[in-house]
Amino acid sequence: MNLSDLNKQDELCRRQFLINSAHTYLGVSLAPMLGAGLTSSLGAQGTPGRVNSAEHVIFLNMGGGMSHLDTFDTKPNNKEVQGPVESVATSGDFQISQYLSKTAQVADKMCVINSMTSRQGAHEQGQYLLHRSYAPRGTIVHPAIGSWVVRMKGRKNTTLPGFVTANTSPSASSAGFFGAEFGGVPLGRPDEGLKNSTRADSVNEQDFKHRLAVADALNRRFSERFSTPNVKAYDSLYEEAVKLMQSEDLKAFDINQESGQMKAAYGNNRFGQGCLLARRLVETGVRFVEVSHGGWDTHYDNFNSVENRAATLDQGFSQLVKDLDDRGLLESTLVVIGTEFGRTPRIVEEHNSGRDHHPSCFSTVLAGGGVKGGMKYGKSDKSGNRVADKPVTIQDFNATIAYALGIDHAQVMSSPSGRPFRMGGAEADLGKPIKEIFS
Amino acid sequence: MNVKIATILLSGFCLLPAAAQSKKIDPKKTPQALKKASFQVDKYVAEIFRSKKLKVPSVVDDATFLRRSFLVANGRIPTLKEAQNFLEIDSANKREILTQYLLNTDGYRSHMQNYMMDLLRIEDGGGNGRDTSFVPYVRYIHDSVAENKPWDQFARELVSASGNGWAKGNGAVGYYIRDKGMPLDNMSITMQVFTGERLECAQCHDSPTNKWERIDFFELAAFTSGQGEINDGMWRKTAGLYGDLQDFRRTDAGRLMYWLRDNVHYMSLAGGGNGRIKLPSDYQYRDGDPGEWVGGKTHFGKRIRTSAKRNAGDSREKFATWMTTENDNFDYVIVNRMWDRVMGAPITHPVDEFVEEDDTIHPGLVRYLKRLIVDLDYDLKAFQHVLLGTRTFQFAANPQAFEVGVPQAFNGRQLARMNAEQLWDSLVTLIADQPDELQKRKFGDHIYYQGKPVLVGKKTMSELSTEILAFKSPAKYREYVENLLVEIKNSGSGSSAPKDMMMMARSERPGPAKGIARASELPAPAPAGHFLREFGQSDRTLVNGATTDANMAQVLQIMNGHVEKLVVSNDGAAVYNALETGSKDADKVRYLYYAILSRPPSDEEMNMLMRDVIDGSKDSYKNLVSALLSTHEFMFVQ
Repeated sequence: MNLSDLNKQDELCRRQFLINSAHTYLGVSLAPMLGAGLTSSLGAQGTPGRVNSAEHVIFLNMGGGMSHLDTFDTKPNNKEVQGPVESVATSGDFQISQYLSKTAQVADKMCVINSMTSRQGAHEQGQYLLHRSYAPRGTIVHPAIGSWVVRMKGRKNTTLPGFVTANTSPSASSAGFFGAEFGGVPLGRPDEGLKNSTRADSVNEQDFKHRLAVADALNRRFSERFSTPNVKAYDSLYEEAVKLMQSEDLKAFDINQESGQMKAAYGNNRFGQGCLLARRLVETGVRFVEVSHGGWDTHYDNFNSVENRAATLDQGFSQLVKDLDDRGLLESTLVVIGTEFGRTPRIVEEHNSGRDHHPSCFSTVLAGGGVKGGMKYGKSDKSGNRVADKPVTIQDFNATIAYALGIDHAQVMSSPSGRPFRMGGAEADLGKPIKEIFS
Repeated sequence: MNVKIATILLSGFCLLPAAAQSKKIDPKKTPQALKKASFQVDKYVAEIFRSKKLKVPSVVDDATFLRRSFLVANGRIPTLKEAQNFLEIDSANKREILTQYLLNTDGYRSHMQNYMMDLLRIEDGGGNGRDTSFVPYVRYIHDSVAENKPWDQFARELVSASGNGWAKGNGAVGYYIRDKGMPLDNMSITMQVFTGERLECAQCHDSPTNKWERIDFFELAAFTSGQGEINDGMWRKTAGLYGDLQDFRRTDAGRLMYWLRDNVHYMSLAGGGNGRIKLPSDYQYRDGDPGEWVGGKTHFGKRIRTSAKRNAGDSREKFATWMTTENDNFDYVIVNRMWDRVMGAPITHPVDEFVEEDDTIHPGLVRYLKRLIVDLDYDLKAFQHVLLGTRTFQFAANPQAFEVGVPQAFNGRQLARMNAEQLWDSLVTLIADQPDELQKRKFGDHIYYQGKPVLVGKKTMSELSTEILAFKSPAKYREYVENLLVEIKNSGSGSSAPKDMMMMARSERPGPAKGIARASELPAPAPAGHFLREFGQSDRTLVNGATTDANMAQVLQIMNGHVEKLVVSNDGAAVYNALETGSKDADKVRYLYYAILSRPPSDEEMNMLMRDVIDGSKDSYKNLVSALLSTHEFMFVQ
């Protein structure tokens, strides 16, 4: 229907137009169909993933390059590279940094990978690779891992977004060539939840719907002329947004429904509150939640900065693992601590004991989601400089996330122009899942 | 030029700033000369269309031109008045007049400042005690854009910076302070921003994807190495006189000393560059040993070197000269950037990668543009004026669908979502009558200590910092601090400074504006969760870190957030002036269209609205305003 037709229509048709338009947005009768479309998943169709695979991922992104030596790969016998940091025993079969004493108590539920290795030593490229399994290219934006998960596994809760990010730079939530419907919904602050998700007091329901219907009518000419993906992206987001506004599960975004005690247990800071929010969201069926914790770029004053960052990580992460476990959600939720690279064993005196970027060897953590606890995988050499055993690339790491979820990391998805892409990276350096860490 | 019409137009737009009219114009930059250059650009572009056998796009109508020009040159939509003035006057050369008008307003400065702050990753609200110390740098950027400083001079000043950042006009040292402790990253960024070469891989290893080897990287980093603070160590020695630092921190003198460290010492850059650097301990290739000194060396353009044996003392200056005048890259990268900024896409992707002329779509065009920017003395405003004056700029947007996330080659303007700043500034335009006259960032030179102006009328930050940085003896420094403490305490009662001076000092507190103001005046970047961030403003950690990707938070923001609260339901919003401008319903609708979409409604739209939406009540107009602001047409630049 276009506007010139509208002009000729009588009152009855006009009403019909408004109702139809309203349906386009408000989705009353269309919702089940729309929902079905979105839940149809590629991963469910007999892929060679795990039996009883995990359902959700909480990805904790340590932006800036987390010092492996001062967190999950301490070298108690090598003071020269270790500096002042002591190691503590854990409930698992290994030691970690004194800065992570609470995490030490949940080590029986986690697998530490000490043999991560990458060739991307700059933040932008490193974060890009971590999030997308590909190095950045000028000709395409690759989908984020969260977008892959939603695309391959489908949504679990059809009224909520499948992928949510907190404290994260907008570029980390981009679905690239998959299009905005698979992109992460970015939350500015965890304690504010999903802002603007309820109708403003200044407009009543009837006018609200009327406005959307009028906008829809006014959009038609423009959409016909510019039928581009970024224009269409907004169309689909409007539909999603209206559905979301009506969702019973919207309260999942509101951490203020939690007791003060629970909030305090996660740590009264953005990262901790983000972890709490992530737990609420996966509980309600969101597939992939990323919570960022930046500031690890400790070129300057490494030890004070890491201690400070680690304290926040320690509290948020350990409480998240405990809380998921208490609720019986840990088996179905893979909790990931990722970072773009580690930091140099060399302590740079002239930068107030700083450490520089070190991609050739660093550490990450996986917990829950069927991962065996209490173990380490891979080894670094005695100074944490190079990988000594079982190297794990970022592509391997992401392939392992796929494997945990029962997704085939090697399945090709084509860009609109037909270029092949995989969750586990390009063919030449396609990741291999680390299967032996799963029980 | 039809003088009468021009006068009407100009008076409608308020007169061009007097300075712009009275200043003697360089013969290379007269309107005639710029126009000739625009023709020349069009000639080359026509050749592209001919050789590629592409259909030449039509030229856009006045309304599209108006909106596009405002958004490109001023970063916001026109106000109702501006739209009315332009659309309702018939004149053959009103497009040219509009361009001149736009380039001479503060809106141009504001929009260009956003661009530069993005490019240089400028932050001013990030904590780390940087809040005040970054005032001089932001001020330097602001002033450089406002005075339209030639790009080569701007770049040279940043890269060769040295000394006390608080000294008048010396804020450029912020370029290095921004990346304090990470001089290697800073060098990668310098090469990316100014020469279009990507060396960040070579920071750690020979790059597998481009030509750079690790040794090359260190040879470049040698030029800017040596970025210590002035009289490095003096602060520590002085603080050491007080005994235990933890206890000292909690004393009055301690608080003042730490404040001086974060606000004065932090913002200083000693020397002019060592010109040599030690290879790192993990250096892994045969062309050098870990810990070996290497001197500076360039690898393209003119080959310049500095010694590995001794500190040069002026190598940043030497490097800056090379960077801005002694290679081909510098000119191409800024040409490509400005083309991108005006035409909506760069000549070659990505925008900050150097490409040889012969590898571009039209070597002749690129050669011409590179010569033009040199002939115009790197005057970015004049260069953009040439581009804005082309027919190419006026081509209709290419409606073709394109692949998501894939940058397009040269095939006509792409429809683009407004960037975060354009969208915010457009909303501000709908809220406030005179968007360019709202509150601005402040740059006062008063000393603010513990949240209050102190020593007003006695000492400024530039004076204080000059004195502090001159100390060669800890004992003298200590004595100075003790006296300063007494002075501050005495002046704290407020009795010593005249009342009006105190009031002025309070109102001039340096820093960004709050609330409704243009994006350039707000904290950089805006806090997480702010409208600007939700629509993709750069977090200022990466060069060109902004995005225009769609996400759900944006749609909610339009439906239920700022758009509803600050514009639609705000009875005092400037957009509702449209209702006073017209008396009949149809006129009111037309003026609302002017204010929001910068065009009159089509007959179809008018009929539909008069029948289905407008009943004369304020609420029905609110519904229309909300609907128009929710359209794609509002959010996308054609």
